[in-house]
Amino acid sequence: MQIEKACFGNDAWSKSNMKSELVAPHTTYVVAEQGDEVIGYAGLSKLASSTSADVQTIAVSDSHRGSGIGRLLMQSLLEFAREQGAKDVFLEVREDKPIPQALYGSLGFVAIDRRENYYQPDGVAAIVMRLDLELGTNSAPIVLGIETSCDETGIGIVQGNKLLANVISSSMDQHARFGGVVPEIAARAHLEALDSVLAQALKDANISIDDVDAVAVTNGPGLAGALMVGVGAAKALAVALNKPIYSVNHLVAHVAVDILERGKLETPTVALLVSGGHTSLLLVRDILNDVELLGETVDDAAGEAFDKVARVLGLAYPGGPEIDKAAKQGDPKAIKFPRGLSLPKDMDQNRYNFSFSGLKTAVARHVERADSQGETISVPDVAASFREAVVDVLVTKAVNACLENKVPRLILGGGVVANSRLREVAAARCEEAGIKLRIPAFSLCTDNGAMIASLGAQMVMTGVKPNNLDFGVYSTIAF
Amino acid sequence: MKQVFLAIDTSQGTSVAVLIDGVVEAEAKDSNPMRHAENIGTLIASCIEQAGLSASEITDVAVGVGPGPFTGLRVGIAAAKMFAAGSKAKLHGVGSLDAIAFELELEAPTLVISDARRSEVYFALFQSKSPNRVPRRLQVPAVAKQAQVESNLQSQGQPYELVQRPVSAASIGLLAIAMLSEGVNPEPIQANYLREPDATQAKPKKVSG
Repeated sequence: MQIEKACFGNDAWSKSNMKSELVAPHTTYVVAEQGDEVIGYAGLSKLASSTSADVQTIAVSDSHRGSGIGRLLMQSLLEFAREQGAKDVFLEVREDKPIPQALYGSLGFVAIDRRENYYQPDGVAAIVMRLDLELGTNSAPIVLGIETSCDETGIGIVQGNKLLANVISSSMDQHARFGGVVPEIAARAHLEALDSVLAQALKDANISIDDVDAVAVTNGPGLAGALMVGVGAAKALAVALNKPIYSVNHLVAHVAVDILERGKLETPTVALLVSGGHTSLLLVRDILNDVELLGETVDDAAGEAFDKVARVLGLAYPGGPEIDKAAKQGDPKAIKFPRGLSLPKDMDQNRYNFSFSGLKTAVARHVERADSQGETISVPDVAASFREAVVDVLVTKAVNACLENKVPRLILGGGVVANSRLREVAAARCEEAGIKLRIPAFSLCTDNGAMIASLGAQMVMTGVKPNNLDFGVYSTIAF
Repeated sequence: MKQVFLAIDTSQGTSVAVLIDGVVEAEAKDSNPMRHAENIGTLIASCIEQAGLSASEITDVAVGVGPGPFTGLRVGIAAAKMFAAGSKAKLHGVGSLDAIAFELELEAPTLVISDARRSEVYFALFQSKSPNRVPRRLQVPAVAKQAQVESNLQSQGQPYELVQRPVSAASIGLLAIAMLSEGVNPEPIQANYLREPDATQAKPKKVSG
């Protein structure tokens, strides 16, 4: 009631008024809390017989205004309205309150009416605003996403939560003879591929470039020279189209891809992202506002370890699929390879961090020792034992991250998700632990532009301010 | 209809210009050789605004294709490609050293150089100009140590004047227009790197003694 009084003064509801609101069957209230203290609340009214919903009230305590609480409260009300099958949502706001009006406007509400002397005794007019939820699905923003952080040139196009196009050109073959991604070769390939990838994406989406409402681009983490190609391209495109630009974190975008498959991201979720460039564990409470990096690799990425071990075993690049294939005939328990950063002493500093460099060396030593003693090694056994060590560490840490943070969901991302053993072990251990496992389609797991567009679209739809044009790139993880 | 050129060069710093019917209406540059990705969007937007235009009025994009240090060079070409795609403008490639030569009288043979890092220079030799002032090359662009380039020319008895100066996008635009009116083939829209990527073939190496 304190917040009510402070927020609304003369317009405040009485205690009994408030009580009847809260118990009424057609109303739903959401509350924002910090510790034990209520810092804001909002309510929605939706009669079962009607397809319209009304925002009854929204209030945030003085000391917490301007911190996005109001937006979060509104978003949860709107989500609830959608779930209840509302087609539109109405609200009234005092004409002399520009800040809430701007918030509602950014969420898609449009002023449709004005009521004189609505708020008494102050005699202030009410602006009636309406949000068309159906319009929101049909005319959701079209966002074009550009991804060039490693060796895939990706351009994706989404409309709101819907995937329209996902075109990828990979320079993988050009890196094969070097046994790993060569940054300069990757960057050159991006520049060459841009035009054709863009043209194909527009064609697949069946739109004209003028239909694009916003441009999103990966600006890190990744290879700096490669990222700059995408950033330069995206900025020029945004200026040419006179449309806003959004810089997007590559790792968070890997998680945002789930929205394209399921319409929304269930949160909180832990995300395990494993590729040739990254091995990261994220805790995602809110895809836009609250992503925590729990841990990452301290040396090689898991995919890199696969490539290097493949080389030691005389297998082709990229190493992941080759080792996966060889391992099928091998015994995963044949050789006991080390599990990096998994000892009790590591749990303090490196609980969710990964290390694959020692494992890679252990495999190399094993092979060299056999060589020097004139023994032949069993490639399938080494491959299977190595793969088991990698997968074991990845899944153990991911499952622990879920359990220890009381998060019942795990989503996988990154190219190493193609590894059959990783999928098997993750599925088995998640089931055991009561964790819901999500593995997006493989075309959305590897680096791609659609994931960038998807995260960009979330930013557009929730009214996140676009970037200025002067942002740069970053190569290492930054949140 | 007006012919409106957006010109971009990132072979040294970042330079952008807008030309309306062959007249330079706006120029913006930043000489920092490391901040192309940061600068490119702002400079393009501010040039278009200075010229009192909207982006959709651009009919042609001219871009310096180098030679120049790779990372920066690519930013300008990527931006030019995407701007042209977004505004449905025609795209023209121009040699970056040629744009410098375009600003000179070229009465005598002139060696135009620019910094290629690693103690080397990009260079090309020019002499005389066409009626539309398109510079004529005596030697295509290449990369080498400056002392080596000069001693080669001297030993061939080739006189030359040495010029090193920033590339201006205004000159990229003016040269593109001159080349068009003369029917000279534009440069392909490809970065003129002049160097292979640094990469060595991986060999399995021993990790234990």
